[in-house]
Amino acid sequence: MDISIVIPFYNEEESIKPLYEAVVKAMSKLPYSYELVIVDDGSSDKTLDNAMELAQNDARVKIVKLKRNYGQTTGLHAGFKHAVGKYIVTMDGDLQNDPEDIGNMVAKLKEGYDIVLGWRYNRKDKLISRKLPSKIANWLVRTVTGIPVKDNGCAIRAYRAEIIKHFPMYSEMHRLLPVITALAGARFTQIKVKHHPRKFGSSKYGLSRIYKVILDLLALKTVFSSFSRPLFGFGFVALVFGLLFFISLAISLIQLVHFQYSTIVVTLGVTALLGILSLTLIFFGIISHLIYQSGNLKIENLYKFKYKNQLANSELINDR
Amino acid sequence: MTDKAQLSAIVVYYEKYYYDDVEELFHAYKNGLDKTNLDYEIIYVIDGELPNVIDKLTGLSAAHPNIKIIKLGRWFGDATALEAGFDNATGDIIITLPSYQQVDANDIPKLIDGLKDKDMTIGWRYPRLDGFLNNIQQRFFNFLIKLFVGTHFHDLKCNVRAFKRDVLNHIYMYGDQDRFLPLWAWRYGYKVEEIKVRQFKKDFRQAFYPLRNYISRLLELISLFFLIKFTKKPIRFFGSSGLIVFSLGALLGIYLFIQRVFMGVPLADRPIVLVSILLLVFGVLSFSIGLIGELIIFTHAKDLKDYVIEKVIQYKNNKAS
Repeated sequence: MDISIVIPFYNEEESIKPLYEAVVKAMSKLPYSYELVIVDDGSSDKTLDNAMELAQNDARVKIVKLKRNYGQTTGLHAGFKHAVGKYIVTMDGDLQNDPEDIGNMVAKLKEGYDIVLGWRYNRKDKLISRKLPSKIANWLVRTVTGIPVKDNGCAIRAYRAEIIKHFPMYSEMHRLLPVITALAGARFTQIKVKHHPRKFGSSKYGLSRIYKVILDLLALKTVFSSFSRPLFGFGFVALVFGLLFFISLAISLIQLVHFQYSTIVVTLGVTALLGILSLTLIFFGIISHLIYQSGNLKIENLYKFKYKNQLANSELINDR
Repeated sequence: MTDKAQLSAIVVYYEKYYYDDVEELFHAYKNGLDKTNLDYEIIYVIDGELPNVIDKLTGLSAAHPNIKIIKLGRWFGDATALEAGFDNATGDIIITLPSYQQVDANDIPKLIDGLKDKDMTIGWRYPRLDGFLNNIQQRFFNFLIKLFVGTHFHDLKCNVRAFKRDVLNHIYMYGDQDRFLPLWAWRYGYKVEEIKVRQFKKDFRQAFYPLRNYISRLLELISLFFLIKFTKKPIRFFGSSGLIVFSLGALLGIYLFIQRVFMGVPLADRPIVLVSILLLVFGVLSFSIGLIGELIIFTHAKDLKDYVIEKVIQYKNNKAS
C-alpha cells in the first residue's frame, strides 16, 4: 500500500460522499495504490451510514468508528493506527481541501521530505472569526519555535508513515504536529493548496483556540529544549532565584548591622522565600529527570529519525 | 464448575463495613440471578479478616458449586477488591452487588435486560425510602458532580451495577474510584443507563457519616475533576493559574517599587512586600508543576489511551454479499 488517506468526520453526512468521489477521481490519475481511512468521530447524524454504503462498494474504504466524539487529534490518532500505507495524507472532512493536491504532496515526499504541509494561500473563510485568529496563531508558532510555518491550521498534510506513528498525540496536538516533528528533526516543506468555501454544515472551531495554542506551544518548546539542559532548565531558574536569595540575605545583614532600630522580619522573610523557591526548583529538576528516565518516549529517539532520513537522502543524491 | 459462566456476580465483603446475614443475602441474590436464565457464578471477595463470613460461604459453596471465594491478604480498599473479583470473573457480563441488600434482588434481571443496547446499567433506587437528610446530601453531591464533571447520575452510591466485560478493558481504577466507575465509563464513551429499581426495605443508611467520609469524598471529586478536565493538558490549568498569580505579584511588586523610589516610602518594614514575593513564588511553582505535568504526559502519552475504537469496518470484496 502506498498511500493511506485518513479523514476524520464529525457530523458531515452531506460531505462524505462528494469527498469520496473527489478522492477517487484525484487518485485515479496517480499511479499509487491507496486506501481511504474514514474515522467516524462519534457522529450523531448519518455519517456512519453513508460511510458504510461507500465501504460496501469499495474495498479500499476502511471505517474506524470511535465510541463517542473525542475531537480531531484522537480521531487522527485512531486513523493512523489503522493506516497501513507508506505515506499518510490527512484532510478535513468538510470538502474545503481539494484531493487534487495529494499528487503534488506525495511527489514532495518522494523527493525526500518527511512532512508536506498544505498552505491555503487563497483562503476562503471569514476574515474576523477564522482568518485573523489563524494569522496570529501562525505568527506565534513561527516566533516561538523558529520553524517557518505559513499555515499551521491547514488540514491537508502528507507524512511519511514511520515518522508520524512514533509521535505522541494528545490534547490538540494534531495542529502542532508538523511543528513538533520539525523540532524533532524531520524535514518539512510547504506547498500551496487549493481551498474551497464551506458548502455543508458548520465549522467546529472558534476563537478560543489561540490561548490553547500559546500554552501548548510553550509546553512543547520547553519539553523539547530542556531535556539537554542541566536539571531540565529548572537548574538555571533556580540559580537566578538563588542569586536573588544571596542579595536579599546581604541586604538583611546590612540592615541588621546599620539600622538596628528597624525590624528585619520582612527582609529576612523575603530571603527565606527566595531560598525555598530556589531549592524547590532544584527538586523539580531532579523529579523531571526521574520522569524522563522512566518514560517510554525519549526525545533522543525522535532525533534518530533525522539521521536515518539524512542517510536515505544522501543516498538519493548519490543516485543522481 | 470449570466452564465459562455467562454472568459473573461479584460481592465484596469489606472488613470495615456493614454486611447482612451471609446466607440470607446469598439466597436473595440467588433468587434474583436465577430469574435472568443465564449461567452464572457468584464471586465473593473478602477484603480483610472476616473468618465468620468465610466459614459460612465455605459451607454454602459445598451445596452450590457456582460460588467462588477470593480472600485478599489484608484490607486493600474497594477498588482493589473489585479488581480482584474482575480478574477471576469468567462471564462476559459482570454485575457488582453490595454486601447488604440495597435493592430488591428481584430487579436484577431488569439491569441485565438493559445491557442489550447499553454497555453499562446502574441501579437507581427509586422511590427512595431514606430520610430527608440523606436526600439533601445526595442532591448536593450530585450537584457538585454536575458542576465539576458536566454530567451526573442520580444514585452513584448504589453499588448494583451491571456491565459488559469490555468496559473494564479500558478503565483502570485505584483507591476508592469504584464509586465513579459509571462516570469513567461515560467519559470513555460507553453507553451508561440508569434503571429504576426498588429499594430494599431494610437498606442500611445512616443520616450522617463520620467527617472523614465527607472529606475523602470531596477530595475524590476534586481529583476526578482534574483527571477528566486536564489529564492531557496540565499546563493549561497550572500554567494559567501560575501566570495569573505571578502577574498579581509582579504588579504589586512594581507598585511598591514605585512608591519606594518616587515617594520615598521605606520598604523594609512593610509586610506587604512579603505578600508580593509569596505571590511570585507561588506563580513560579505552579507553572513549574504544569511543565512537569507536560513532561509526564509527553513521555508517557503512548500508555495513556483514553479513547475506545468501537469497530473497524472494511469489506474485503467489492460487494458485501
